[in-house]
Parts: sequence; structure tokens; C-alpha cells
Amino acid sequence: MIASFDVIQSGLALGLVVVAFACLFDRHLLRASALFVLFALLMSVSWWYLSAPWLALTELVLGMVLTGGSFFYALRAFPSAAMAAPHVDGSQHVLSHRLTRGLLALAWCAMIGVAIHYVMPEMAYSFAGHPLILASIVIAATAMGAFALHRHLLRRLLAFNILGSGVFILLAGMAGTVSGAQALISVGLTIAWLGTLLGVMLIRHLVILEGVSALEDENDAAGQAQ
Amino acid sequence: MIERFGLHESTFDPLWYTHWALAATLVLPILAGLLGARCAPRRLFPVALACLPILLAGALLVFDYQQAGLLRWQWQVAGVEISLRFNGLSGLMLMITQWVGAAAALYTPGHLRITHPGKRARWLWPLMGVLISSLSLIWLAADLLTLYAALELMGLAAVGMLLLSGKPAALKAGIRYLLLALVGSLAYLLGVALLLGYWGALGLQALAEVVEPGPVTWVAAALIGAGLALKAALFPLHGWLTPVHENAWTPVSALHAALVIKASLFILLMLWSILLPGTLLAPRFVAWLGMLAIVWGGLIAWRADSLKTLVASSTVGQLGYLMVAFPLLLGPSITPLAEALAWEGFWLHLMGHSLAKAAMFMAAGNLIIATGESSLRGLSGTSRRLPLSLLIFGIAAVTLMGLPPSAGFTAKWLLLQALVISQQWVAVAALLAGTLLTAAYVFRVFRYSFDETAPRHQYQPLAPGMDIIALCLALAAFALGLLAHLPLALIQGGGV
Repeated sequence: MIASFDVIQSGLALGLVVVAFACLFDRHLLRASALFVLFALLMSVSWWYLSAPWLALTELVLGMVLTGGSFFYALRAFPSAAMAAPHVDGSQHVLSHRLTRGLLALAWCAMIGVAIHYVMPEMAYSFAGHPLILASIVIAATAMGAFALHRHLLRRLLAFNILGSGVFILLAGMAGTVSGAQALISVGLTIAWLGTLLGVMLIRHLVILEGVSALEDENDAAGQAQ
Repeated sequence: MIERFGLHESTFDPLWYTHWALAATLVLPILAGLLGARCAPRRLFPVALACLPILLAGALLVFDYQQAGLLRWQWQVAGVEISLRFNGLSGLMLMITQWVGAAAALYTPGHLRITHPGKRARWLWPLMGVLISSLSLIWLAADLLTLYAALELMGLAAVGMLLLSGKPAALKAGIRYLLLALVGSLAYLLGVALLLGYWGALGLQALAEVVEPGPVTWVAAALIGAGLALKAALFPLHGWLTPVHENAWTPVSALHAALVIKASLFILLMLWSILLPGTLLAPRFVAWLGMLAIVWGGLIAWRADSLKTLVASSTVGQLGYLMVAFPLLLGPSITPLAEALAWEGFWLHLMGHSLAKAAMFMAAGNLIIATGESSLRGLSGTSRRLPLSLLIFGIAAVTLMGLPPSAGFTAKWLLLQALVISQQWVAVAALLAGTLLTAAYVFRVFRYSFDETAPRHQYQPLAPGMDIIALCLALAAFALGLLAHLPLALIQGGGV
């Protein structure tokens, strides 16, 4: 198993993780959206590499062009004053908020790790043998944490999309690229695009009605306590 | 348990007109919705005309089920097997969906004529059509892929509908609901991925044959359960529910509370009865949460200031009754009698709550439109000017409180009987406490509405039919208690 260390696959996995991290934690919204497009492109290459060409095409069209385009469409609604000073999410979080979110991501990671351990017992002997699965666990956990951490609605939408991609690779890694898994992933991609489109239209509407500050969803914690 | 969901082989093939009835059930609502977007009906008559063939198709399917027993369909699409089944339970849920959907559709023209919502109102019709179609598909679907697609379609249509009112508060509540629903669906998908990776099956029947208890099954059941509980607003994941209803249009609220959250609950019970038959811990955990939900939802509704918050919070409590039944339906060493009673009580309560909650949202919407105020204080003086709306609210509340002879009473009686047989005294106490709390918050509404000292204000006259439709729904919930043997006969046979 250790002999099957695969340079291309490892490179792809590393690239996916790095781009996902950059996209999740970049406060500059335009740059984060561009990074998402790059991430979708890498995802498409990964599908190609996993010998699922139709999935690669779907990812290219739905993930990169349509979903990525939706984010730029949202950013165009931001007022020109915000354009001059680039769209930056300036919200700060208290330490306890960060800490609980970090623990949440770790717990999530542990739970998935346990499940994977049973689904693919051979993975316990060679972590390096399945770099894409390893990457997808890291991406899914980080995106989950980022989704819970961020308050800015656009960044939460980005985090959801990256979380979705992580789940899709995990699905393909565990079930293989059989037709059932491909159908699930295609439906998932379509849903993610439709959901993103709906969210983007909402964000545009909110920005037009109340300005950019409405996107930093401060009453979230208060709302959940109700 | 699995037989009760119709996951077994059928005796007869569906007849030729059954195929057409199925196609009509699934496709006609969308077509009618598109037609509605094109024509934007302003009267009841065209809407009723569009609803009629859909209702007929549903009735035809139920008739066929009574003749031929379980109906099954299977197709191969690009190497993926898609399977549907129609048993008594699907028939019951389909009928409730279609009739509540038709009532909401009939209510809509009057509501739109009075509130003048502008151009956005056009979108309501296709979204409503997609919602009804995807709900129908959920009751029929027998594989995880179809369930996932239908669940997501329904969720997106529901979010779209809730946003139509366009107020900033509605948009903020809506985007939070959207994000949570999407993440919930990813948790579901991850659970499905584990099942597909380990057992290699997507069809529910095939899965039920191979699945065995073990860590993978438990993690998958936990992921699926968490995702669906988030979508079904089960306590303590109900935080998004109240703000979303606060600003939505009346027919949308009615559809959402009556049907959308029930679909997630239905899938949850079905998948858990496949994955976790005879487990103790998980259903017991859900039941404890359900007891808390009954008390917490009741208290929140009791303290509510606005009428819509009250109605929405009462949903949290009412879902608690259904959660309490989980250990009776899934747990080990439950006597067959208790299980059968809980099974009937569960679905009867679900149906009764759907009808009553839709009626209650419509009555509350009528009161809010007529008085122009959404707070409970604004209701003062309505007992003289809007007696019919208050009466509808009262009849719906009778079902929610569980007074005889409503559906709520019969359902709670069945559940209580099952709980007493299996000696779950804490749950019995929670059920009784819930009834008292429901009475407390309902009578709070009446206390304000019978206040005669308030200054008179202008009342907006309601469009014809708005009260009548709500009254029909409330009376249906009431009559369901007396005629409970008719729907229960459909689900008793276990689809054999």
C-alpha cells in the first residue's frame, strides 16, 4: 500500500486543501470568490483523475461557471463606495467563539474518522495511500468550523459550498465512482448551485435594502437562543 | 416495521391507468403552478379547476391501492435504479398533502387581492407547484437518491416561498433557514455516503436486507438524524422556525407548518426503522428531547407577544408528541399492541396537526389582515367584529389541545394508551402537561380578543372564501377524530 504513493493524487489533494483554506479564511471577498473558482477547477481535475469524466464536466459547468459566477454576481450589487475600499469582512470574533468552533471542527473530524476507519479498514495502515480522502476530511472539518465561525453571509455561503465539495469527494472515496455515487454527487452539485443562487439573490436584495452592514448577521446567536 | 412502510414485494403490477395517475400526481402540480405564473389567477374558480385533476389522480391511486395492494415502480436511468412504492401510508400522506395544498392554493387569490404584494406574487404559484410535487415524491420514493433529490427540491421551494414577502427581517430569517437547511442536507448526504460505501445499496428495500447494527450504521444514522432533525425543526434545533414564520405570507406559513416539516420527520422515522430497529438509546434520546419540546414549546407560545409567534412556537411543542412515540415505534421489547397503538396515534396526530395548524395559520392570518396588527394586544375587540375567524381559531385549537372528539384527542388517547401499556410514566406526565400548556396559550388569545374596552379601529374586510376555507380545514381536523377508523384502515393492513 505504501508503495502506491501517488504523486499526482497527492499534489491534487495538497492543492485542494491549500486553496480551500485560503478561500475560507480570506477576508477579501473578491479574492475569496476567485479562490473558490480555482477550487472548483481543481475539483473538476480530481474527478477527471478519478476516471469520472461526466462528473468533471458537471463540476466544471455547475460548480465553477454557475456557482462561482453567482458569487461575482452577488459582489456586483455592493455599492461603489464599498468597491473603492475592497469588500472586506471586518467582523471580529471573541476568543471563546473561536475556541468552541475549533472544538466543533475537531469533534466532527473525529466522528468522520471513526466511521471511515470502519468503512475502509485498510486506510488505518496507509494514510498516504488515500490522499484525496484525507484531504476531504480536513476540508470538510475546516469548512464546518468556518461555517459556524463566520458571521458574514457571503462567507458562510462560500463555506457551505466548500463543505459540500469535501462531502462529495468523501462520498466518491468511500463508495467509489459507481453510477449511484455519481448520480448522488450530480444531484448534490445541482442543489448546491440552486441554493447558492437563491442565497445570492437574497444577499443582493439585502444589500440593496439595508446596505452592506446587514450581511454581518449579528443577531444570529440571539436568534438561536430563542 | 419495514413492512409498514411498504418495503416489500408487491403481488400485482400496477394497471395502465395507475401509471397515468402516478404521472399526473407528480407532474400536474408543477404544470398548474407554471400556468398560475402565466395567468396570475385573481378568482377562486380557475384555481379550483386546476386543483381538481390533481385531487382526482391522488384519489385514483388510493383506490388502486385498495384494489390491488402495494404498487411498485422501478426504472433504470443511466445505471441508477429509481424505485417508487405506494402503500396505505403513502396514500394517506398524499391525500393530506393534496388537500391541504389545494386549500392553501384556494386561499391564495383572496389573500393576494387584499394585500397587494406586487409582481413578486407570480412566483408563488410555480413554487407551490414544485413543493406539492416534491412532497408527493417523498411519500412515494423508495431509494435514498430519489429521497435526497425530492427533499432538497422541497426545501429550496419552501425557502423561496418564505422569502416572497420581501421584508428585510424575512430575508435575514430566510437566508439563515436556507444555510441551515443546506448544511442539514449535507449531513444527510454524508450519512448516505457511509451507507453506500459500506453496504453498497441505495434502494431502501435492498438496504433493509443487508444492514446490520455496527459503528458505521450508528454514525450514518446519527448524521442522517441530525440533518433531518434540523430540517424538521425538532427541539432543540428549532431556532430558525419562529423568525421564518413571523414574516411569511399566510398560505405559505400554512403549507410549511402543515407539510414541509412533516416530510423530514417521515423520512427520519422511515430510515431509522431500517437502520436502527430494536435499539434503545437513540429513540429514547429523541423521546426525552420530545418531552422537553412539549414543555418548552408550550412555554414559549404562552409567553409570545405576537400571534404568529404563538402559532409557530406551538408547532415545536406539537412535534414533541410525535418524538415521544419514537421508542414505542423503534425500541426493543415493545408489546405488539403498544406498537400498533403508537403507530396509529403517530400518524393520526401528524394528520390532525397538519389540518389544524394550516387552519390556525389561516385564521391567524385573517385576524392579522383584518386588524392590521400582529400583536396579541391588537386582537382586542375582535370577538364582536370577527367572530368567524375567532371561531376557526378555536376549533383548530380544540384539535391542538386534544379535546374530544377531535383528531388530537383520538391521537393522544392512542399514544397515551401505548405509553401506559409500556409504562413510560414520565412521557405520560409530559403529554398531560403539554395539554394544559396548550390550553393556557390558547385561552390567552381569547382573553385579549374578548377585551371590549379597547378603542375601535378600522377593520379591513376579508375576501370571500378566506374564512370558509380555513373553517373547512378546522372542521376536517375536528371530524378526523370521529372518523379516525377510515384513514387508520389504510395503514393498519401493513400494505399486504
